Amino acid sequence: MLKLKGIDFSYGEQQILHQIDFHLRENEFIGIIGPNGSGKSTLLKNISKLLDPDQGFIYLDKDLLNNYSYKDLAKKMAVVPQDSEINFNFTVYDLVMMGRNPYQDRWGRVREKDRKKVDEALQLTDTEKFKDKSIQNLSGGERQRVIIARAIVQEPELLLLDEPTASLDINYQRNIFDLISNLNNKLDMSVLAVSHDLNLISQYCDKLILINQGYIHTIGKVDEVITKENISEVYKTNVDIKYNPITERPYVIIIPHSKNIQRRKKNSFIVHLICGGGTGKDIMSILNDLNIRVSCGVLNRGDTDWAEAKRLNFEVVEIPPFAPIDNKAVQKNEKKISDADLIIVSNTPFGWGNLDNIRVLANFKDKDILFITTPEIEERDFTEGEITALFHKIKKNNNVFETNDNKELCSFINNRYGKTLYD
Amino acid sequence: MKKKINYFYLVLIIIAGLILVSIISLSLGSVNLSPYEVVKIIFSKKDMNNSLNVIINQIRLPRIILGFLVGAGLSIAGVVFQGVIRNPMVDPYIVGISAGAGTGVTIAIVLNLQFSFLFFSTIPLTAFVGALITVYIVYNLAKTNGKVPVVTFLLAGVAVGFVLNALMSFFMVIGTRDLQKIIYWLLGSLSTASWHDIKLMIPYFLIGNVMIIFFLKDLNLILLGETHAQHLGVDVEKTKRYLIVGASLITASVVSVSGSIGFIGLIVPHIARLLVGPDHKKLYPTAAILGGMFLIVSDNLARILLAPMEIPVGIITALTGGPYFIYLLRKTKKEIW
Repeated sequence: MLKLKGIDFSYGEQQILHQIDFHLRENEFIGIIGPNGSGKSTLLKNISKLLDPDQGFIYLDKDLLNNYSYKDLAKKMAVVPQDSEINFNFTVYDLVMMGRNPYQDRWGRVREKDRKKVDEALQLTDTEKFKDKSIQNLSGGERQRVIIARAIVQEPELLLLDEPTASLDINYQRNIFDLISNLNNKLDMSVLAVSHDLNLISQYCDKLILINQGYIHTIGKVDEVITKENISEVYKTNVDIKYNPITERPYVIIIPHSKNIQRRKKNSFIVHLICGGGTGKDIMSILNDLNIRVSCGVLNRGDTDWAEAKRLNFEVVEIPPFAPIDNKAVQKNEKKISDADLIIVSNTPFGWGNLDNIRVLANFKDKDILFITTPEIEERDFTEGEITALFHKIKKNNNVFETNDNKELCSFINNRYGKTLYD
Repeated sequence: MKKKINYFYLVLIIIAGLILVSIISLSLGSVNLSPYEVVKIIFSKKDMNNSLNVIINQIRLPRIILGFLVGAGLSIAGVVFQGVIRNPMVDPYIVGISAGAGTGVTIAIVLNLQFSFLFFSTIPLTAFVGALITVYIVYNLAKTNGKVPVVTFLLAGVAVGFVLNALMSFFMVIGTRDLQKIIYWLLGSLSTASWHDIKLMIPYFLIGNVMIIFFLKDLNLILLGETHAQHLGVDVEKTKRYLIVGASLITASVVSVSGSIGFIGLIVPHIARLLVGPDHKKLYPTAAILGGMFLIVSDNLARILLAPMEIPVGIITALTGGPYFIYLLRKTKKEIW
């Protein structure tokens, strides 16, 4: 259908595209992705004959693109451009009818077939209901569907789309891509779509082309292109790849940069975290960002904090779900505590089941211990005062500290351990 | 959005209006006639030497026909330029094309280049060359990175217009012998209208219109933006070239017989667009008829207001068009399109 051979293109001195080669087969849906300024849109403009490549050949079917007149090209290829804002008071119907232009004579006489095609396209794109409205009174998503309707009436074999869902909300994003997918499957249109939304396009297309600085970085099936290595390298961002359980397609998740930009090796500094019920999640995230080694305990399997600790690869002293802490676990926990440089106790509620997590602390008179004390321990005491008493007893130890929240936790760690952490 | 009046009826109404205005205009003047007498004189071909017959058929009728052609031509040129540039602030006067045509005519008068060959005579031809050179210069001055931004286009037009006006003054000074002729012509007036003028301009006028009519449909698509138009199968550069040359031909033909009559090309396309919307297949005839009518009415005012003295009609149109242009500048809402 479409074949590119060694396409070079430059704007003045600056070369934008280098040796672009690829082949789009009949009825294929290829997505083009790449960072901003990588040349995606320029490539599309070369293919739609808006720009002429400096070198190389573009074949559409068996003929060179340059041998097509604009009119013949418009019958074969329709383009949905990035900016579809139209400043004139055309009605939706008239605008879609303009897609019939390549089939009409010089005077633009409208024939029965033209009307039929327009009606079909309006139906297909679900834009029939506002066919008499002015295009200016439509929202971005509606307007984009109208522009796609206009492309459909061109009866193209190839549909080019440049960021068809830029600045649309997720409902319209899905809507538009479902529509495109439909055209691809039911009307047998080949589709070439540029998108910077990796995750969206990956759910729909057959193949992906990843462009980096004007070169094709990778081309292939979606899961060959959307890999941690490719995306991290091209976008220079930390990402992780997951799989959409429904489409079984890969999607990219972004990992935020840690708070301190310098990444260090895992520190020899160790924190033991006593938490539960989700109260430790944020603390774990902070400690992980600081690249501190963390152990947790004792946690029931299936607890929110247990899951988070497992996800972050922390060491966890664990017991079965809903079970009280047994002796074996207490001993293990004691070992972890003695290995740690700092023990953090989250503001988790305490009952008879996790009382031992605190009781064990009484044995460590000189350890650094940090309590998160909002809300007050009295409010979280479900042991009829036992834990409160224990708590106040431990507070009399030498190196016990208190903070109100996680923010204070950060500055506490930086102030007290900054030197050890960053050296 | 206002409900659009049925296009067919609208055209009927404005044609009726045009005929009415024409008959009333024929009856107005130093010799007052009733509209009925006017119709009778036009359709009775018998006594050709009758003085009333001469007044109507040799003086008033050519003036009204020429007024119509000039008004229609300027409106059509306005429609085309506004469409190609995709901006409502453009007319042949503002972008300096009238000045270009005027310079061409001035040069022809000063150098005494007046002869005609077949149906084509030099005055409209030099006007056309002047207009075309001007539009070429303005367009390329304004072109940045392959686009023609409106503001630079307007600025370039105004700047080039200044230069050309200075050039005209220069030629008037060195060609003192023709000074009066040129000034008279520059003021923009239909007072010398004759059948000869119509014969002089009509070939250029018709060719320009044919060129435009051929590309009206494509002009609609260009309104969407040049890339849209190209994707829909329009050879944008070619279309623009034909349209601009056509509009310049019309402008030149009009300027060569009437001088600079400004602002019609600005106002009338807007009024027409409000009536029939942006579709050029409807806009073109509507603007043409309305423009012709507008100029006939303005010319009547020019003749009557200070009778027996005559005000150049360019002053009347500028007095109505100038404020309208200021209004447009202030009101940048899109609904005008």
